Amino acid sequence: MTSAVYHAFSQKEAKEFDVQQHMGAQRAEAFVRAFLRRSMPRMSQQALEDHLQRKAVVLEYFTHRKQKEKRKKSKGLSAKQRRELRLFDIKPEQQRYSLFLPLHELWKQYIRDLCNGLKPDTQPQMIQAKLLKADLHGAIVSVTKSKCPSYVGVTGILLQETKHVFKIITKEDRLKVIPKQNCVFTVEIDGFISYIYGSKFQLRSSERSAKKFKAKGTIDL
Amino acid sequence: MLLRRQWPWTQPHWAEASPSLTEGSPYAEAGTCYRPISSLHGHVQVSFLIPECGILSKELKDLVMEFGPYYLVKDLPLYELITHEFINTFVKKGSCYALTYNTNIDEDNTVALLPNGKLILSLDKDTYEETGLQGRPSQYSGRKTMRFIVSIDLMDLSSNLESKKYKRVSWAFREKKPLKFDFLLAWHQTGAEGSMMMSYFSGYGIQEHQPKISLSTTRDLRCPVLQSGRLGGEPEAACSARELFDWLGAVFCHADLNNEPYNFVSTYCCPQPSTVVAQASLCTVTGFILPERICVLLERLCRYFDEPKLAPWVTLSVQGFADSPVSWRENEHGFQKGGEHLYNFVIFNNRDYWLQMAVGANDDCPP
Repeated sequence: MTSAVYHAFSQKEAKEFDVQQHMGAQRAEAFVRAFLRRSMPRMSQQALEDHLQRKAVVLEYFTHRKQKEKRKKSKGLSAKQRRELRLFDIKPEQQRYSLFLPLHELWKQYIRDLCNGLKPDTQPQMIQAKLLKADLHGAIVSVTKSKCPSYVGVTGILLQETKHVFKIITKEDRLKVIPKQNCVFTVEIDGFISYIYGSKFQLRSSERSAKKFKAKGTIDL
Repeated sequence: MLLRRQWPWTQPHWAEASPSLTEGSPYAEAGTCYRPISSLHGHVQVSFLIPECGILSKELKDLVMEFGPYYLVKDLPLYELITHEFINTFVKKGSCYALTYNTNIDEDNTVALLPNGKLILSLDKDTYEETGLQGRPSQYSGRKTMRFIVSIDLMDLSSNLESKKYKRVSWAFREKKPLKFDFLLAWHQTGAEGSMMMSYFSGYGIQEHQPKISLSTTRDLRCPVLQSGRLGGEPEAACSARELFDWLGAVFCHADLNNEPYNFVSTYCCPQPSTVVAQASLCTVTGFILPERICVLLERLCRYFDEPKLAPWVTLSVQGFADSPVSWRENEHGFQKGGEHLYNFVIFNNRDYWLQMAVGANDDCPP
């Protein structure tokens, strides 16, 4: 725009307007500036320059956005489809208590490593905190207290833990599904007995490691 | 009335039987009387009042002395009551009664053994959830169930010792939740002596007790006038059964019967019309008393009028334990303000009788 302001007239235009063109570009510029300053004394230099330049305000800006390739998100299977796939089912011929005893040994080893060796004088609070975040697959759990009397006394190795339920295999090779709600479970490791209140434990094992548990005075079933 | 609070007769819920006796057949009378006696299990106090009788006859005195010993065992574990030997020795032969001692029905766990072989446990919520035996919530529990009743049939269990049921019960009482109580035991067996109990539980510190007997003769007692045909009483002629009930309570408490209306302690007065008897015998037996003995006593009292006597009527009242988990016939018993359940016989000289049964607030109607 500046060039358009200080552009010299062509010959034809000069004749038409009867304008003499002897001034160079710089002199023209200086002249315009002085003139503007004289005619509008209140405006600052910067404001004058802006007016001359006539900056346009862009109201809308249309560009052709690049088409982002749609990321093919795998939808995953719904619970119904998962159940149909039977990924987590254990076949009857594999439902034997003796098969899972090595798993229990593994779990014991894992807990011992987690708690840096279970000595008789270890702090129970520390074990408690570690157990809250630990994985319980392979532990021997038993139900000590329950609102439903027929669940009381069920003992076995924990095979699977879902959000609301423990799947346990008992010594008689029976797969038992125990709901966590309204039950108190006992987990025993090397002489330390912990009671797990199932009503507060209703989380997937993967989510449990990230959850902070609040301390409560007493818990009634 | 201030005195009412101490009486075991407060706030009765009434059921009255109408006199229905056929004349001159005391055995029919005794047969129909047996019904409430045998269905209320375990009695704590038996009292009878005979007006116009200075000294009790020797026969009655002997009968009262023979009310039989009862036993107190401390810290008896519950699994002892379900062992095969116990069931075979005591439950199956004769009638065995057991009740936990010094436990409150609304606070602690209570256990009762009935003669038909049923073991009734009244447990609080935590114990019930830990024991793991199937039961039902108590009727008198309120919105949040705090009390559960577990009923175990010992006769059924003993028929098959290898059954899963017996194993589960045994496991629950031995390993899962071993409970220990102080038990009051009594055993009635026709023809045999009762010292077997002493030898059976000798390892647990068993003590034998005799029921406490107190005999007294009251002079110048004001008695209400009753007519056997009129239960509801008749103005100026006879007192109603309800008035008699109140009066009897006052007599057993040794309360004053002629109080002025401005008396501080009690304003109770003997109901009118009344007479003054020169003397009356009052006998009270306290302890763990068997219903079989009460039947015998009742029979004897019925035969009291075989010879002509001055007394127009005699009364026999029996109270059950306030902390028993069962009332009549295995109905549940609760303790609201006073866990009373009792019955009262009034036997007239014309062979009629009145039967009054009273229960507390947390009880079902007596049969």
